[in-house]
Amino acid sequence: MTVTKLRWIVLTISFILLILGGWAGLDLGGYLPAYACPFVGSSRGGVCFFFRLQWILAAGTIEAFQALGKHLIFFSILVILIGRAWCGWICPFGFIQDLLDLVRRKLKIGYLRFPERLRDGLGIVKWVFFFIALLIPLWVAYPLLAPSVAADLRQPFCTLCPGKYILPLVVGDTGDVAVDFQSATTITMSVLGLVFSVITIGGAFFKKRFWCPYCPMGLLMSWYKKIAFIKLKKESQKCTMCEVCYNVCPVDIEQVFKEREREDVTFSDCILCMKCIEYCPEDDALRATFLGKSIYRSTRKGFSERLRTVSASLKKRKKESLEHGNGK
Amino acid sequence: MEMENKAIRKDPENTLTRSRKRKERLLKGLVNSSWSVLEELEANPGLPNGMAYFIDVMKEAFSNNGAHRLLVSPENKKDGRRIVGAYCIMVPEELIYAAGAVPVRLCGGSYETSLAGDELVPRDTCPVVKSSIGFTSLDLISLYSMCDAVIIPTTCDAKRKMGEELSKLTEVWMLEVPHIKDGEGARRQWLQQLYILKKNLESFTGKRFMKRKIGRKALGASIRMIGDAQYQARRLYDIRKSATPVILGREAMLAINAYGFVEADRWTDAMARLNDELEVRVGGKAPAARRRAPRIMIAGCPPIFPNWKIPLLIEEMGAVIVTDESCMGNRYLYDPVGHTENSLTDMMVGLAARYIMPCVCPSFAPNEDRLFRLLQMAEEFAVDGVVYHVLKGCVIYDFELARVEKIMKEKDIPLMRIETDYSPEDLEQLRTRVEAFVEMLGTKKKNR
Repeated sequence: MTVTKLRWIVLTISFILLILGGWAGLDLGGYLPAYACPFVGSSRGGVCFFFRLQWILAAGTIEAFQALGKHLIFFSILVILIGRAWCGWICPFGFIQDLLDLVRRKLKIGYLRFPERLRDGLGIVKWVFFFIALLIPLWVAYPLLAPSVAADLRQPFCTLCPGKYILPLVVGDTGDVAVDFQSATTITMSVLGLVFSVITIGGAFFKKRFWCPYCPMGLLMSWYKKIAFIKLKKESQKCTMCEVCYNVCPVDIEQVFKEREREDVTFSDCILCMKCIEYCPEDDALRATFLGKSIYRSTRKGFSERLRTVSASLKKRKKESLEHGNGK
Repeated sequence: MEMENKAIRKDPENTLTRSRKRKERLLKGLVNSSWSVLEELEANPGLPNGMAYFIDVMKEAFSNNGAHRLLVSPENKKDGRRIVGAYCIMVPEELIYAAGAVPVRLCGGSYETSLAGDELVPRDTCPVVKSSIGFTSLDLISLYSMCDAVIIPTTCDAKRKMGEELSKLTEVWMLEVPHIKDGEGARRQWLQQLYILKKNLESFTGKRFMKRKIGRKALGASIRMIGDAQYQARRLYDIRKSATPVILGREAMLAINAYGFVEADRWTDAMARLNDELEVRVGGKAPAARRRAPRIMIAGCPPIFPNWKIPLLIEEMGAVIVTDESCMGNRYLYDPVGHTENSLTDMMVGLAARYIMPCVCPSFAPNEDRLFRLLQMAEEFAVDGVVYHVLKGCVIYDFELARVEKIMKEKDIPLMRIETDYSPEDLEQLRTRVEAFVEMLGTKKKNR
């Protein structure tokens, strides 16, 4: 079983649990570091950390802030356990994006890669979302300015998040895919959200993991990378800088193959999908560790097998030579 | 030049016969020198049976002047495919195969033709370029004359200018290689170059008014075909790591060198057989060299057949070449194409990456990767000493000597620099030096 297959299985199971688990009475809590979107309704199997975070901040009461501490601690424990593997292996929205990517692959259409400058420029987007999710709820709690606008904002990031519009669609709930005509504020926010959703669906078809670099939760999770238990490590001397890891990386991390000194190559955007290890052609050049223990290593043999560079003709030859040997 | 013209005007007949005679003399020299190298290889009683194919390929291409015969498959006698010559390791052979043409590797390694090239290029040019130009201008053997076009990547200065010179004699396509490969712009430009090459090949191999498109199926098939060859080359690479050597370096290097003159799938078959044979030998009772023979890595300029001077010398002195970083040797088929999708885009990106990113040709700067590669090889192959081969005129390999010397010193691995060309004149002097070096390594190994 290849890691890609294993990841598909885990992603699918997590998707079913988080999006449909509610029907079986599953409730994994409100501090999940994944897009377990509450807007899918009663079928949800848990709630996204950011939904509850905004809700707590917007409440503004002492009790709410006490709950905030507990909320953060639970979230931190979850993130420290497996780092951003939440994004690569569990997040239902990641699953949707990977699915779109799979359709593209099957249609044998090439992928899109943003140039470095554009990627750098777009790096600010997640920060914008992050501050929207953090500061606007506080304004909602203490509406010193324009209270009517504040009242309509409630969960500002959720209204902008494409997950809110796309994930409910999966369970057949089209109710969220609409402009909210309540006020000018709600119209603006929901139109923006819908625009982001359309862009994300189109984007994820042509670009691997289109949304992930803009996710504010990913940003928050990346701050745990030093203490998270799962890490991506590299042995520089074994690396030939062949660029394969960059070409298979869904979030376009270049530093992994360019790094020549550090052993720890878990970069901020890394979603620990481990594709780079899977497709690294050098023995032991890349590996994943859990609490310092290697759990997965790169091998040339694995590379050849997975890329089917060892083609059918070679296998045939092997078989023939075996038969020939037996004949003797 | 003027003198020559005058001479021709004066006595055209005589000059013509003279040049024909000279050509005959050089061809005879080439045949003899390649024959004597192959004879020496064959004289080894422990020569693996699987080597016979590769030695035959070299005989056919150089001693029998039959390189064209090597590419005609017995089942498809008159296939009329185009033949494209490639200089340097950076020519993506996958594209050539996908276009329905066949690549051959042309970098020259013959002393005789380097003499002929001497008159056409500056004195300080490296013998590889001298020999390549000599081969082409003299039209000496079919390996060169059968090429319908040659592709020359702009790697070092000499190769670049060689492209210009050769374009007077044959159809030349230059391939612009970025020298600083880290930047995104450089990589995109290189990818662009491959798309241009693809287009050129398409119109080159297609019939009139009928372009033959290189599709993802054809490209995927040729990537797999070369991937198979690389898989076998890697097997040989791993076999050579074994503590008791099971194949001599001069033989292994020749086997890989032969890849340049035959079709990849046939080479793969032969290599698979050789590997099967060698794998049985690993741990067996008949090592290819003494158990305590110093293990040597050849670094620096590539020994190119028939210039087998350095490999023969080293192993004659009782050492064994366990690895090399030659672009006609270990490096030739080491790095694979890493495409994971079946789209043309992904294949082209994978191809572009394979041909420059892991390449440690010193024409790149900065070229830190090479030091990492050499250290890794020294470790993997338990190297006792490094012979740093500098072909006279190859400034870039010589430039990096100091860095390589430094890292090897840190690992306590002795290094000897040998500067030479293709001429047999300095053979005796080199023999003494190599002998002393090998002896020193032997004593060092014993005392450890």
